[in-house]
Amino acid sequence: MWETLAQAVINGLLIGGIYALVSIGVTLIFGVVKIVNFAQGEFVMIGMYISFFLATQFGIDPLVSLVVSMPVLFLAGVVIQHFLIRRVLGPNDMPQIFLTFALSLLLLNLSLMLFSANYRTVHTSYSDSAWHIGGLYIPVAKLIAFAVAMALSGLLWVFLRTTDLGRAMRAASQNRDVAMLMGINPNRVFAVAFGTALALAGAAGSLLMPFYSAYPFVGQVFVLMAFVAVVMGTLGNVMGALVASLMMGIAESLGIQFVGADSGLIVVFGLLLLTLAFRPSGLGARRGR
Amino acid sequence: MTGDRKPPAINNAAPNQASRTKLNRRKFLAKTGGVLAAGAFGAVPLRGWAADAINIGALYPTTGSMAQIGTGCVAAAKLAVDMVNEAGGIKSLGGAKLNLIVSDVQSDTTVTRTETDRLITGNKLSAIHGCYASALTLIASEVCERAHVPIITGSSSDQLNKGRSYTFTPFARASQFAKAQLQMAKLVSEQAKVAVIFENTAFGTSTSNGLKELAPGEGVEIVMFEPYSAGFTDASPLINKVKASGANTLFSLSYLNDLILIVRTVKQVGLDIAINGGSGGFVMPDFYKNVGKAAEGLQGVAHWNHDVNEDAQKVNAEFRKRTGEFAFEYAGGLVAQTFMLADALERAASADPKKVREALSTLDVSSGYAAMAPGGKVKFGPDGKNVYGRPVGVQWQNADLASIFPKEDARAPLMKT
Repeated sequence: MWETLAQAVINGLLIGGIYALVSIGVTLIFGVVKIVNFAQGEFVMIGMYISFFLATQFGIDPLVSLVVSMPVLFLAGVVIQHFLIRRVLGPNDMPQIFLTFALSLLLLNLSLMLFSANYRTVHTSYSDSAWHIGGLYIPVAKLIAFAVAMALSGLLWVFLRTTDLGRAMRAASQNRDVAMLMGINPNRVFAVAFGTALALAGAAGSLLMPFYSAYPFVGQVFVLMAFVAVVMGTLGNVMGALVASLMMGIAESLGIQFVGADSGLIVVFGLLLLTLAFRPSGLGARRGR
Repeated sequence: MTGDRKPPAINNAAPNQASRTKLNRRKFLAKTGGVLAAGAFGAVPLRGWAADAINIGALYPTTGSMAQIGTGCVAAAKLAVDMVNEAGGIKSLGGAKLNLIVSDVQSDTTVTRTETDRLITGNKLSAIHGCYASALTLIASEVCERAHVPIITGSSSDQLNKGRSYTFTPFARASQFAKAQLQMAKLVSEQAKVAVIFENTAFGTSTSNGLKELAPGEGVEIVMFEPYSAGFTDASPLINKVKASGANTLFSLSYLNDLILIVRTVKQVGLDIAINGGSGGFVMPDFYKNVGKAAEGLQGVAHWNHDVNEDAQKVNAEFRKRTGEFAFEYAGGLVAQTFMLADALERAASADPKKVREALSTLDVSSGYAAMAPGGKVKFGPDGKNVYGRPVGVQWQNADLASIFPKEDARAPLMKT
C-alpha cells in the first residue's frame, strides 16, 4: 500500500515540475504586464518542435537544445511584447484577451499547417529507462526534467530577489503605477517579463521532448493545469504557482490512483474550488489582505 | 478534375447529324436493356458511359486531424486505379479506364456531408469508396444511399450494416475485432488475465463494453476495467494501477498519443505484460516510428495485413516504392476494394451506379487482388457484410507487422516478449 502511495506521489511530483514551468510563465506575465496569456501553451508546443527538429536534423539531445529554445522564445517574447502586447495595454481588458487568444489560435493552426497533426517523438538513450529503488521506479527523463525545472525556477527566484531588473519586475507586479513613478521603465520591464515567461515555456517544451510527443494541440494539455495552478497559487505569485503546480501534479496522480483513472481532473478542480472557498485569493496570498 | 469529360455530342456536331446519332443511340440503348429507363437521368446516357472513363469517387480526409491516414488512402487508391488500368481497364466496357476523383472531407462530419453531395451531383459516378474513419463513413454512406450510388468501405463500424442497401463492407466488423483480441490473449497464457483500460468517450466505452460482454464466453478473465480521460500528461498512475491488478495482458483502447505514452511507461516501469493495442493508429507505420524498439512484440488487430497472400505482398512492394512505408490495413484494403469494383463493373458491363450495386451484391471472388483479404474470399450478404470477413491478429516484429492469428492467417510465429 505505502509503495503504491509513494509511487503515486513521485509520479505526481515529477509531472508537477513541468506544470510549474508553464504556470510560472503565466503568473509572471499576469503579475507584471497584467494580462492573461492564453497562448502560453502554444509556446510550449513551439519549444517542443524546436527540440524535435534540432534532434532529428542535427542529432542534438533535446535537453541540450534547451540552450536554443530558451533564447529563441525569449526573443520571440520581447518581439511580441514590443509589437503586439504594448499596443493594447490600456484600461480595457478585452483587446488584450482577444490578442493573446488570437495568437494562440494563429500559432496552433499555423503549426497544423506546417507540421501536420502527426505525433513526433524523439528517442534518447534515457527516454525509456528508469531507476528502480526498492519497489519504486523513477523515470530518468522525467527526473531530469523535474530537476532542471526546479533549477530554472530557483534561478528566476534569485533573479527576482537580487538583481535590479528583478526587483523592478517585482515592484511592477506589486503596484505598477507606483513603480512607474519611481522611475522604472515599464516597456523594458514588460519585455523582459514576457520574454522570460516564454523562455520558461520553451524550456518546458525541450524538457518534455524526451518523454512526450509533440503535436500542434500539445500545449492545450498543459496550459489547463497551468491556469489552475496560477489561480490556486494566487495570481502573479511565482512561488505560489510553483507550489500549487506540484500540488496539482500530486493531486492528479493520487486521484487517478485511488479514485479512478478518469477522475484526475475531477480531483484537481475539486481541490481548486475548495481552496478558493477557504482562501479566495489563493494559497500565496498574504494574510490580512 | 472533370474537365476531360466530353460535352454531349448534341452540342458540338452539325444539327442533322446530331439528331441521327441521338436516335441511333436511343434505339441501341433501348435494345440493350434500357439504361435510359433506369433512372430519371433523361439524356445522361448520351454522354456516353460506354467508351468514356469510369468515374470512381474517393472521399478521404487529406487535411485536418485525420489527414495522415487519409493521405495514405489516396496514395493507395491511385495505385489501385493504375493497377486496374494497366491490366486493360474494364474489358466488357471496351477497355474503359477507371478515373479517380478525389475529394477532401477535411476530417469533419459536416464537410463530409457536403463534399459527398457535391461529388455525386457534380460528377457522373459509378461508385464511391471512403472515408476510412467510421464517423465520416457513416455520413457519406447516408448520402450515397439517398443518391443510389454504391459505396464500398474499409470502415469497421457495425452501424454501416444496418438498414442500408448501397453500402458494402468487405472486411471484418468492429464486433469481430473484440472477439479476436480476446482469443489472442489466450495465445500469451492459458490463464488469460486481462486489464482493459479505455478512454472514456464513445470509441473507448463502446469497444470496451463489447470486450466485457464477450470475455466470459472466450474464457478470459478481466481483472481490471478502467476508463481514463484521453489526452493525459502522464500515464504512470494508470500503469501503476495495471501493475497492482496482476494482469498478464493489457488491452489499451486509446488514441495514438495516449497509447505511445502508455507503451513507453510500461517499459519504464519494467512491467512484464503483453500489450494489445487494438487497431486504428496502432497498426500504422507511424506508430513504430514514434515508439521505436519498445513497440517490438506488441499485438494488435487489423482488417487487412500485407502478408496475407502473395498478391498482398506485391501490392505492398509497390506501395512501399511509392510512399516509403508498408501498405497499412486501409491502403491494402483499398486496393482490394478497387478490384472488387472492377469485378462488379466487368460483370455489370455498365457504369450505371445502380447496375454496379447489383453486380456488387452478387460478387463472389476467391482469387486475385479482389480476394486479397483475411479469409481469402469475398461475398456480400444482404446487409452488405462480407460473409467470409474476419480480422487478422498482428504483432510488431522487426519494425514490421506480422500476421500471427488466427492459425489459418498466421504468417509468423508469436514472438514472446
